[in-house]
Amino acid sequence: MRLSFVLLSSLLAAGEAFAGQLSIQQARFSVLGSDASQLRLEPISLAPANKAKPVHLGASDTLKLTFTVVAKEQDPDAEPKGLQTHQTFVRFHDVQSGEEGVVPVRVAQNGKAKFELNMARPPSALPPTPLQGNETAPLSVTLLLGSFEHSPYSLELFDLYLPPSQPAPEHPDEKTFHSQPEIHHTFRPEQKVPSKFVSGLAALIVAGGPWVVLLGLLSQVPLSTPHLLSPSVLPFTISLTALEALLFYYWVDLKLGQVLAYGAVLGLVTTITGRQALQKRGEWRLQGAQKK
Amino acid sequence: MLLRRAAALLALVLTACARSSTGDSVLVVLDPSLDKDAYSTFWAGLTDKGYNLTFRTAKEAQPEIIQDEVAQFSHVVVFAPESKNLAQDLTPQALVSLLDKGTNLLLALSPSKQTTINTLASEFSLVLPPPGTPLISHFPARDAPATVVPVSPPAAHPVLSSGLPPVWFSGVPFAYTPNPLLIPILSAPAESFAADTSSDSGADAVFESADRAGEGLWAGSSLSLVAGFQATTGARVTFVGGVETFSDEFAQKELPQGKSSGNKQFAEDVAGWTFQETNALRIDKVEHHRVNETEPREMYTTNDNVVFTLHVSKFNPIKDTWEPYSGIKDMQLEFTMLDPHIRTSLPPIPGKAGEYSVAFRVPDRHGVFKFVVNHKRKGWTHLESTTVVPVVPPRHDEYPRFLSAAWPYYIGAMSTSAAFVLFVALWLSGDDREGRKKGLKTE
Repeated sequence: MRLSFVLLSSLLAAGEAFAGQLSIQQARFSVLGSDASQLRLEPISLAPANKAKPVHLGASDTLKLTFTVVAKEQDPDAEPKGLQTHQTFVRFHDVQSGEEGVVPVRVAQNGKAKFELNMARPPSALPPTPLQGNETAPLSVTLLLGSFEHSPYSLELFDLYLPPSQPAPEHPDEKTFHSQPEIHHTFRPEQKVPSKFVSGLAALIVAGGPWVVLLGLLSQVPLSTPHLLSPSVLPFTISLTALEALLFYYWVDLKLGQVLAYGAVLGLVTTITGRQALQKRGEWRLQGAQKK
Repeated sequence: MLLRRAAALLALVLTACARSSTGDSVLVVLDPSLDKDAYSTFWAGLTDKGYNLTFRTAKEAQPEIIQDEVAQFSHVVVFAPESKNLAQDLTPQALVSLLDKGTNLLLALSPSKQTTINTLASEFSLVLPPPGTPLISHFPARDAPATVVPVSPPAAHPVLSSGLPPVWFSGVPFAYTPNPLLIPILSAPAESFAADTSSDSGADAVFESADRAGEGLWAGSSLSLVAGFQATTGARVTFVGGVETFSDEFAQKELPQGKSSGNKQFAEDVAGWTFQETNALRIDKVEHHRVNETEPREMYTTNDNVVFTLHVSKFNPIKDTWEPYSGIKDMQLEFTMLDPHIRTSLPPIPGKAGEYSVAFRVPDRHGVFKFVVNHKRKGWTHLESTTVVPVVPPRHDEYPRFLSAAWPYYIGAMSTSAAFVLFVALWLSGDDREGRKKGLKTE
C-alpha cells in the first residue's frame, strides 16, 4: 500500500516536472544493398514484445532508420506533435563484453529523424563486432530520447549482426594482469641403456671366463703355500688388500684428498711390509740354497 | 624509565588508531570558495577511522607537503575544482613525485575550468572533454536537474562494497585509453552524455559535437566518472569527476525511487581504497628448498625437485593489522632464465593461512634462474618477488656410481685387482721350489 503510494507520488512528481512523455511515431527501418536495392523494410513496433527479428548487415549494406519524435501530452485526446529533443541517440551495445558505441541522430524541428548506418563507411563510435567462438554475435540496438522538458524514452529496436571487425585495441601489458598460460619445460629423454640382463650376462662372462681358466690351470699345478700365514708375509698381503679396497671405496664414496691421505699412510705400510716380505723371501731362498 | 614506558604506550595507542596500511596523516587542500562544512560527513568519516586531517587552501604554501625531500603526509586530498593553478608544491610534477614517494592522492577534476589537475589527468591515460561540458542524463525522469545524475555502481567491483545503492554525481565524465594500471570505479550510465547545452534547442550542437575534433560524442557507459590508478610504486591516485560526490547534500539527497543514496558509503569505499586500507597485500616471506629438506640451498642442481613457498598478508583496516591471506586463487610462479622456463600455478595451501606453495622439477638447463612471482590484478596491490638461484649441472661425484651398462667394466677391474692380490699371496707364500729341486738333485 505504502509502496504504491510512493510510486504514485513519484510519478506525479515526474508528471509535474515534465510537460509530457516522449515517444516516436512512423518508425521503420530498411536494409539497402550496395546497389541501393531494398533488402528489407519493416515498421518498428513500440511494444517490447514485438521486437523485430535480428537484422543482418553485409560489408557494403546500409541500415536506414526513420521516425518522428513526438511528445504525448498529458491530455490523452490531444494530438501528439513532433518536436526536436536534446538527446536522440542510437546505442549499440555488446552485452557480453560491455563494449558500447553511441551515435547521435539529427532531428529536424518538426521531429522527423533519419539515421543511416553505411557499413562501407562505419562511424568510428561503432563498437567492435562481438565474437562468440568463430561466429559473430549480435549488438543490441537501442534508441534513446531525452529532453529537458519531457520524460525520457528508450526503445530496444533489434539485434544487429555486423560483418567481423578488428578487435578492440588492448594495452601490451594487459595480459600480465590476468592468469597467463602455463609453461611446461620439455626435459631431455632419459639416456638409453642396454637391458640389465644383457649387462649382467656380459659382466658374468668378463668376470667368470678368466677365473675359470686361471683356477683350472692352477689346479694343474701342484700348489703348496707353507708361508701363507707367516708373520712376515701376511701383513703385506693384508695391506695390499687394504690398498685395493681403498681404491674401490674411492670409486664409491671418497674424495681425492681423503684417498691421497689414506693412500699415503697405507702405501708407507705396504712398502715396509712388502720390503720385509721380499727380504724374508730372499732369506728362504738362501736357506734353500745352503741346504743343498 | 616511566616516561619512556608511557611514550611507548602512547605510540602503541596511536598506531592502533591508524586505519591505513601506509599511515594516517592526511592533507586536505580546498578551494577558498569551497565550504568545508558542506563535506562534513566525509571528513567525519575519515576522522572516525583514525585519520589526522590537516586543512589548507589551494594557494597557501604551509604546511609543506614535501620537506627536505620527505613527504610529510601519507595521503593528500585535493578538492580545488575552481583553482586554475595550485600552490608551488601541488604542481603536476610535484604530485607525480609524491606518488613516487608512496603518498596516495585523491584528486577532484574540474567540470568548468582547465585546472592543473585536469592537465595531470591526461598523464594517467584519462581523456577529458573540453572544459564546461558536464555530464547530462535525462534518464530516469526525476526532480533533479539533468546535470545531477543518479549512477548505479557496478554490482561486483573489487573496490566498492556490494549492494551499494545508486550514487548522485555531478561533474565531468572522462574517457580513457587502455591502461592496465587504471581501475574505472564508477562508469557513467549508458543513457548519459557530456554536453555544454542546457536546453532542447542545443540538439544540433550535440549532434555536431560528434563530428568535432575527432573524439566523437562523449556518451555512454564507456565513459568513467571516478577512476583509480595504481602507480608501480604501489601508491594510489583516484580522480573524481565531480567533488560534490563527497558532499553532505548528495549523501542526504533521496534517490528518485525514494531510497537514500549510496554517496556516503561510496565516498568511504573510494577513500578506503585510495588510502590503501582495502585491497592492500604484501609478501611476508619467500622460501625455497629441495623436496624432503627444510633449508634453502645456495644453488640447485638440474632436475632437482624444489618446493617454493610464498607467505602473503592482507591489511585488515578494522583491526589495523596485517593478517595472513589465502584468498588468491590464480597466483602464478615463473622459473625464469631470460624467459620463463616454467610457469605454474601457485595455489594456497589448505589449512595453512597465507601460504602458497608448489613443488616442481628444475629444468635440465644450467644457468642463473629466478623464482618470479608477479601477481598483478586490477584494484589490488601488485605482488612482486624475485629470488635469484643458480642452477648447476651435477658435480663430478653426484652422478650414479654403478651404471648397469658398465657392469662388465667394473667387474673386469675388480676381478683383475683380486687376481693380482691372489697372485702376490701365492707367489710370496709358496715353497722355494728351485732350492728344493737343487736339493733333490744332490740327494
